[in-house]
Amino acid sequence: MTDITVQLDRVSKSFGDFTAVKELSLAARAGRVFGLLGPNGAGKTTTIRMIVNITAPDSGTITLLGGPINPSVQDRIGYLPEERGLYRRMRIVDQLRFFAELKNVRGRTVEAKIDEWLARVKLPEWKNKRSMELSKGMQQKIQFITAVLHDPDLLILDEPFSGLDPINVELLKEIVLDLKRAGKTIIFSTHQMEVAEKICDDICLLNRSQKVFEGSLREIKSSFGRNSVAVRCVGGNGVLEDPALVSKLVNHADEAQALLAPGADAQVLLRRLIDSGATVEKFEMVEPSLNDIFITKVTENA
Amino acid sequence: MTKFLAVLKREYIQRVRAKMFIVSTILLPLVMSMFGIMPAIILNIDTGGPMRVAVIDQTGKMYGRLEAAVDSDEEEESDEKPDVAKSGPALANRKFHLQQVASVGPDAEAQRARLDERLQAKEIDGYLVLAPSFMQDGKAEFFNNNPGDVLSRKMLQSALNRALRDQRLIEAKVDPATRQSLFQPAEMQSVKNGATGQERDSSAGSFVLVFAVGFIMYLAILMYGQVILGAVIEEKETRIAEILFSSIKPFTLMMGKLVGVSLVALTQLAIWGTAFAAFALYGVNLLASRGLKAGSIPSIPFTHYIYFALFFLLGYFIYATIYALVGSMVTTAQEGGQLAMPIILILVVSFYLFLPVSRSPDSSFSIWVSMIPFSAPVAMLVRIVTQTPPFWQIALSLLIGFSTVLVITWIASRIYRVGMLMYGKRASIPEALRWARQA
Repeated sequence: MTDITVQLDRVSKSFGDFTAVKELSLAARAGRVFGLLGPNGAGKTTTIRMIVNITAPDSGTITLLGGPINPSVQDRIGYLPEERGLYRRMRIVDQLRFFAELKNVRGRTVEAKIDEWLARVKLPEWKNKRSMELSKGMQQKIQFITAVLHDPDLLILDEPFSGLDPINVELLKEIVLDLKRAGKTIIFSTHQMEVAEKICDDICLLNRSQKVFEGSLREIKSSFGRNSVAVRCVGGNGVLEDPALVSKLVNHADEAQALLAPGADAQVLLRRLIDSGATVEKFEMVEPSLNDIFITKVTENA
Repeated sequence: MTKFLAVLKREYIQRVRAKMFIVSTILLPLVMSMFGIMPAIILNIDTGGPMRVAVIDQTGKMYGRLEAAVDSDEEEESDEKPDVAKSGPALANRKFHLQQVASVGPDAEAQRARLDERLQAKEIDGYLVLAPSFMQDGKAEFFNNNPGDVLSRKMLQSALNRALRDQRLIEAKVDPATRQSLFQPAEMQSVKNGATGQERDSSAGSFVLVFAVGFIMYLAILMYGQVILGAVIEEKETRIAEILFSSIKPFTLMMGKLVGVSLVALTQLAIWGTAFAAFALYGVNLLASRGLKAGSIPSIPFTHYIYFALFFLLGYFIYATIYALVGSMVTTAQEGGQLAMPIILILVVSFYLFLPVSRSPDSSFSIWVSMIPFSAPVAMLVRIVTQTPPFWQIALSLLIGFSTVLVITWIASRIYRVGMLMYGKRASIPEALRWARQA
């Protein structure tokens, strides 16, 4: 038994002429949050659907919890799809019970768990209401419960926070981190980099059906190093556009972010700026944000 | 298996507990009986009291006969009564109030003018003129304000007819006993020449039962086909399908839904059946207490009841799965409703095959249609009650039928699974076939 919960080995899937996922290999390790990142249409949802056995890959193998996909493994997975829904006319407690039964969990323990989870997402008084009476955000939290109610070892969340207010995002984020501490593996798909940055241990970046990068968040950030400089200065623009020093320049509202060219020294850049007569108001070495990495990688790739 | 039961249980409990189910269970029999009873009640609404008819009897013999004929009911000559009168026995209560007007004399024209005035003044509703030649040519004239009252006119005509016939018989010196024997109707007893020798035929009763089975099947499909369609589409519309498919095989899901909804249908039918049986029993007792003999339940071999049940289930499930198939291809219930129209057509056609099959139950045509799953339920039942085919044919028909149910369900579940991944798009038939292959 390895500590790898989900392993994809050269998995491909196409729909007609369209290739959704191409030769994708990745490994999500136990007890960690694995972020599946990528722009819209990169193949995140298709990858997830193959992991939860909704569609089968055209080629390649998927290993889940140490073996191939089978019904008993399916019962150990919790899945919150991007396209979510509840039975409109069914009472919340009945729905939760039904979804637990679909995972072969039933009996008195379920009743206790339902109460426990409803309390945790702060909706205990809605237990006997029909889902059509709930607001969209409330429904989303109920759907989250359906994914975790059967105490899965692997939890797959596809854009779990989209459409939630900041308070509820925080609430669910805490729950996800609690689950991670309890030893669950979490695969988390999103294109919201700020969220991913806060909770992911490992990430896999997808673009145009292919993997761009995979590794721990620490690793990728340090590989980019502190090779980025936040600059606010008046004049001296010609220096920042020198390709020998700056490989990429992003202008923000009142400052610019300069990615140093390979081998270039920040101190040289600063000296050149001062020499050129520019007034430097701010010059700070910064770690690139995941967003920057994402954009860099995606545009590089394109 | 436990997941199958979970789906089944959900479909069943959610539906049976719904207000809709309770309301329709109570309401539908009421509506149906309304359709049965209302026409009779409405026809019986007697707004004007008895119809006042003046009679100018220029033959001088008919008035008395006519009065007697109008008052009597003459059940034994029912074939001469107009059809409309049969629809409600109470119609005979629509009495006529006859009055004779002095008939002979030269002032017939003046008399008519006077009657016309009375007609105008609504003192009478009409007047009947029997010409002197009436006994020979049977021609009479009826003047009235309301030519639209077909019912009353037919009843009057029928009474007049009977009166004329009676009078002619009397004039021909036919005594009442001869008259009785002359009008004795023919009676034909059908005898079935079966393997066990000649026996009194019960197939008329069996036919009624086949017809009833077919009709109930038709009713169940008509009512529950849409429900199945809705059940299959429900997860698509609510976007729950994706969670379900991550937990359960599409085939298991589809089967769970199909059986769950079907149990709801059977529950409802069972409730109605019990109510109907209780009502019928009560009705038979009521009739018996009035000295009337109700038609007894025909004696049918026990095995036939089993066949009835099996072929009913087959028929129901064949069409139910077709609805499930349609549901797997469409995205909204409205679309499904349109696509489902041809199903009803097939159902009706297969129902009418009952006629040619009953005429020649052993023809190769009958054998074929009793093997084709869509027509098998009715066709095979007709064959069973007429000339019971060899057991292997019955078994084969059931085997083909139930295998078809499984195959259609399987195809439907494949299409469903792929279709789910392509939201908002209705599948064309070739697309659906491709989906079924690639899923």
